[in-house]
Amino acid sequence: MSVYDLRPGQTALVSGILGDEKLAKRLRALGANEGVKVKVKSFAPLGDPIIINFMGFDLAIRKRDAKNIVVKDVI
Amino acid sequence: MTTAALIGNPNVGKTTLFNLLTGLNQHVGNWPGVTVEKKEGFINDNVKIVDLPGIYAMDTYSNEEKISKSFLESGHVDFILNIVDASNLKRNLYLTMQLKEFNIPIILILNMVDVAEKKGIKIDYVELSKLLSVMVVPIVASKGKGVDEIKELLVNDIFSKAINDNENHYRDDTRFKSEAETYKYIEGILSQCVTYTSENTVTITERLDKILINKFLAYPIFIAIIYLIFQFTFSWVGQPLADLLDSFVNVWFVPHVNILLSGANGWFKSLIVDGIIGGVGSVIVFLPVILALFLCISFLEDSGYMARVAFLMDKIIRKMGLSGKAFIPLIIGFGCNVPGVMSTRTLESEKDRKMTALLLPLMSCNARLPIYLVMAGALFKGHEALVVASLYALGVIMAFFVGILFKNTIFKKDDEPFIIELPEYKLPELKSLAVHTWEKGKGFLKKAGTIIFSVSIIVWILSNFNFSGMTEIDKSFIAYIGRFISPIFIPLGFASWQNSVSLLTGIMAKEVVVGTMGVIYGGNLTKILPTVFTPISAISFLVFVLLYTPCISLIATMKKEYGGKMAAFSVAYQLVLAWVVSFIVYNGGNLILRIF
Repeated sequence: MSVYDLRPGQTALVSGILGDEKLAKRLRALGANEGVKVKVKSFAPLGDPIIINFMGFDLAIRKRDAKNIVVKDVI
Repeated sequence: MTTAALIGNPNVGKTTLFNLLTGLNQHVGNWPGVTVEKKEGFINDNVKIVDLPGIYAMDTYSNEEKISKSFLESGHVDFILNIVDASNLKRNLYLTMQLKEFNIPIILILNMVDVAEKKGIKIDYVELSKLLSVMVVPIVASKGKGVDEIKELLVNDIFSKAINDNENHYRDDTRFKSEAETYKYIEGILSQCVTYTSENTVTITERLDKILINKFLAYPIFIAIIYLIFQFTFSWVGQPLADLLDSFVNVWFVPHVNILLSGANGWFKSLIVDGIIGGVGSVIVFLPVILALFLCISFLEDSGYMARVAFLMDKIIRKMGLSGKAFIPLIIGFGCNVPGVMSTRTLESEKDRKMTALLLPLMSCNARLPIYLVMAGALFKGHEALVVASLYALGVIMAFFVGILFKNTIFKKDDEPFIIELPEYKLPELKSLAVHTWEKGKGFLKKAGTIIFSVSIIVWILSNFNFSGMTEIDKSFIAYIGRFISPIFIPLGFASWQNSVSLLTGIMAKEVVVGTMGVIYGGNLTKILPTVFTPISAISFLVFVLLYTPCISLIATMKKEYGGKMAAFSVAYQLVLAWVVSFIVYNGGNLILRIF
């Protein structure tokens, strides 16, 4: 499953990033590496993009891209 | 000359520090070949600071990163001033690790140490310095704390003396195979010098976000903020100051010049007063409006709200192939296209910047309003509001379609991934706002001003001379030009030389269309216009006014920001668009009239 499948308030552990290398590289550089906790904070009023939080800061990403952040161990 | 490169993640106070270190001793321009702001400042004659774009990493292929990288590799950098957010060291040090690979001495500036302390983060600076083998300076840029120390380090070259002993440490003992490995290394370091005494509680930012990006409140609040900015710019501060400046020019300055030139030739006086002062003056009075608008934008930007706007607008504006961040420049365009194009600088991808700049002129700026009002008042009495509102809406609709067209033709490249950090809210610093605002104003005056100056002279000559010398306006070059170009407008229904010339001089500034008509038709426009326009040709004319090239200041700004080719393309496509849409409106309208 991916970040896309999480509901607001749910946290999970990153297990990998798929898709576009540009995006993957950037997310990894920001700290979205394996084992890092990622939390979905909220959805935009129109449903997209969404706000996720990891390593202590908020990031807005599009849902399409959120599908590429694979997670496990939903908390 | 010592050159220090200032580099760090976005939202860590880089600009604030840069402004504090260099004061007004700055140059702003573009990096060669790209529209990324290049800022250089000087502490004194011997120390230059180059403000590199805010980035998170060195190797994720964005323009900003490529620029930073090639600048650090150029061999012109003596020091790296790496500014980091003390309360988020883990992520910030990622860039630091990559900076170390350049083998350039680094001064690690820990900003916002007060915020970190409040969050219960205790940092052992000495230990951190040792572990990273770089010099560490804790500061609070927003309060100016620690800034003098950095200045001293750079001015007195203390730093270069201090590093001589441990130069060896800058060899690459830190090359990592993957991002995860880098982070592991950073965590190892931080575990030895940072302690956390309390867990994070709900921050002010979280509380504010509950309201500002709330499902139901977000858009009403956003609209209210935009409304306030427009009020501030066009009713409360900017426009009144502009009017004041305008009356200063016309009531005080011009009469004095007239007296001063009383002995001079008539033509010389006219050149100075009507040509140069008239032309340049009409631009300079723009300045307060631009400054006021940019003050507001800088405030939104520095406060952290702008990132939320991008977040809120992304889904809507994505349909045009733009990211949410492009929304603000477009909104600004309704006030004035010139600061709109200038503010496209803040966008991340080159594609977004260019496309936004190209669509911006379709946003109906304030200068077009007087034309709408005169025409609507003369031909559509009682329906003015409807006519004006339709024109504004038409501009937006056109931008939408042209956006989709561009997206599928010249900007076919894939969407950039959309990632924006939502920084914590903070109250912007006055000094930073002032410097920011003034920068924009200075650039505007310099570039647009020189072009306006020359064009003013040219237009004056054209409207006062013909081959036999000085003459009346309807025998002048400009009348000839008007008659020459008027056939273009025959299919659009308003092909008199007077109308043609009005549109031509309107390129100086759209308000000039009304002024020119006033001069050429020489009388009460409300009475004269219905005799030269039918309702449909009037609408056709208004549509043309809405869609064709806004003004010379915009062309100048476009050229400055994106080069001559783009400026030319912008002018060309808008002329074609204006012609085609006006043609459809005029002929379609007539057709419908004939049927019913």
